Amino acid sequence: MKTTTTVAPQVATAGAFRATRRRRTSRSLVVTCSLAVAVCALFVLTMMVGSFQLSAGEVIASVLQLREDPSVDFVVRGLRLPTAASALAVGLALGAAGTIFQQLLRNPLASPDFVGINSGAGLAAITGIVLLQVSGVAVSALALAGAVAAALLMYVLAWRDGVAGYRFILIGIGATLFFDGLIGYMLTRAQLSDARQAMHWLTGSVGQADASELRLLLGALLLLLPTAVLLQRQLRALELGDDTARALGIRTELSRAGLLATAVVLTALAVAVAGPIVFVALVAGPIANRLLGPATGGIIPAALVGAALLLTADLIAVHLLPTALPTGVVTGAVGAPYLLWLLATTNRQGAGG
Amino acid sequence: MTRLHAEGLTLGYDDQAIVTNLDVQVLDGKITMIVGANACGKSTLLRGLARLLKPRHGAVYLDGKALTEMSTHEVAKVLGLLPQTPLAPDGITVADLVARGRYPHQGWFRRWTERDDDAVTRALDATGTADLVNRPLRQLSGGQRQRVWVAMALAQDTDLLLLDEPTTYLDINHQVELLRLLRKLNAESGKTIVVVLHDLNLACRFSDHVIAMAEGAIVAEGAPTEVVTAELVEKVFGLACVVVPDPVAGTPMVVPT
Repeated sequence: MKTTTTVAPQVATAGAFRATRRRRTSRSLVVTCSLAVAVCALFVLTMMVGSFQLSAGEVIASVLQLREDPSVDFVVRGLRLPTAASALAVGLALGAAGTIFQQLLRNPLASPDFVGINSGAGLAAITGIVLLQVSGVAVSALALAGAVAAALLMYVLAWRDGVAGYRFILIGIGATLFFDGLIGYMLTRAQLSDARQAMHWLTGSVGQADASELRLLLGALLLLLPTAVLLQRQLRALELGDDTARALGIRTELSRAGLLATAVVLTALAVAVAGPIVFVALVAGPIANRLLGPATGGIIPAALVGAALLLTADLIAVHLLPTALPTGVVTGAVGAPYLLWLLATTNRQGAGG
Repeated sequence: MTRLHAEGLTLGYDDQAIVTNLDVQVLDGKITMIVGANACGKSTLLRGLARLLKPRHGAVYLDGKALTEMSTHEVAKVLGLLPQTPLAPDGITVADLVARGRYPHQGWFRRWTERDDDAVTRALDATGTADLVNRPLRQLSGGQRQRVWVAMALAQDTDLLLLDEPTTYLDINHQVELLRLLRKLNAESGKTIVVVLHDLNLACRFSDHVIAMAEGAIVAEGAPTEVVTAELVEKVFGLACVVVPDPVAGTPMVVPT
């Protein structure tokens, strides 16, 4: 009797679990590939539209340097490619960084916009613009330094035998308000032209990217996205709590430091290139999870969602609205309702922390 | 020498020592249960044995080597642990959670294989959670959830398994069900199991060996029938009682007076 009861379900479950896993693997492959295609399409589309309309073929030929056509090349490579490339790169960086933060801190609110990193970068950049009269790459370098310093400060303040999600977020909100207060003070001290430059930077726009900053971000992405993929396994274990992660043989402190460093550098470079673009990091991970299935937490899909969001936001900001707006305005307009929805549903489920 | 043992082990948090100078042998192929009053150091000892806490003094040895000198990844292939309150990401499904138990057997580039499929399937079958694979963890009852966590620890496929109060928050029926499951695992695969347990009667009923602790020291250890007496319960828990044989299994049963 014993053999029949143990053998029969074994066969059934072997099938059930394998089928589930296969379905998940293929779903994740399909979603990731579709996202990649969508991002490529949006990337080309942003370069097609504008006062001088181009076909997809012309854009692709010009970007890949397949054909020589000075006027098309001027519009595409000279004017539109830098903006499109920075929207792509910043979106990828913010999407990846956002989901890493949210998973590490086990809280959907824990995106870099909310834990003081954007504000730290902003404060450093504005200080540079107003007090030191710098511009261009120097502003970005300061933003990078500010983001890293803010992240270290948060780590020191919030870390106590591992981190409780809410503690980190409350300290982050406090730090954000403090930094924003200082930014306001800086602006009151500024010359009018400096203040204008500073405000433009603070709104966040992919159109303001400087070529050398962009190259730095693209280089960092080539290095850090594969790093993030390698650390994905560690991240999934850390999600189960430090004790479980350690029991699974993960070196928790090292893995967490590596993941945080990756996310902070990605955020910092994105902010350095485009200014503090809000909400992309917050929504990219949850949208990717919606597409992939709950708690899948793929870093690459989240990065692709981030890129798709930012490219779309840029299209809307520059072409669909009556007057061209900075990208940050559009992401803010989309992100704020999401945040309200998140707060409402999180409270209802009682599962925010 | 048993596979897992500790010598002169002192453990603590911050500057407070909780467990001092313990020598422990975890009997191979047996179920050991650690019992004692709240804050006696039983969970601390378990965390020490599972390398979650670094010893202040002394060492824990696995197969003759100090845990602190082994790679944590290698240890995870031999020694599994289910913590007291494991966390699960919101919305995670049973299949996804149990599959994460395979991490010690994967490397930077070695991903999922047939062996992983087999181990997860065995774990799901052993715990009776196979028909839950597509369900989100948070929709399950407390008893089902705990069995899923045990399945995750089993998927790790280790010779030794440590569990920290696995029956907390479960009703009596599910407590017994879980402990029966541990007995079955021990009987079928010879797994060495160490459990920190609150309930002394259940510990007597389901263990081969009990370790009774008080104030960070081991007061008594041995087979339940030999060790658990009214004097011991008085000493460890401060409870006046009589100890009678369990009418079903004959193991010691504590009845307060």
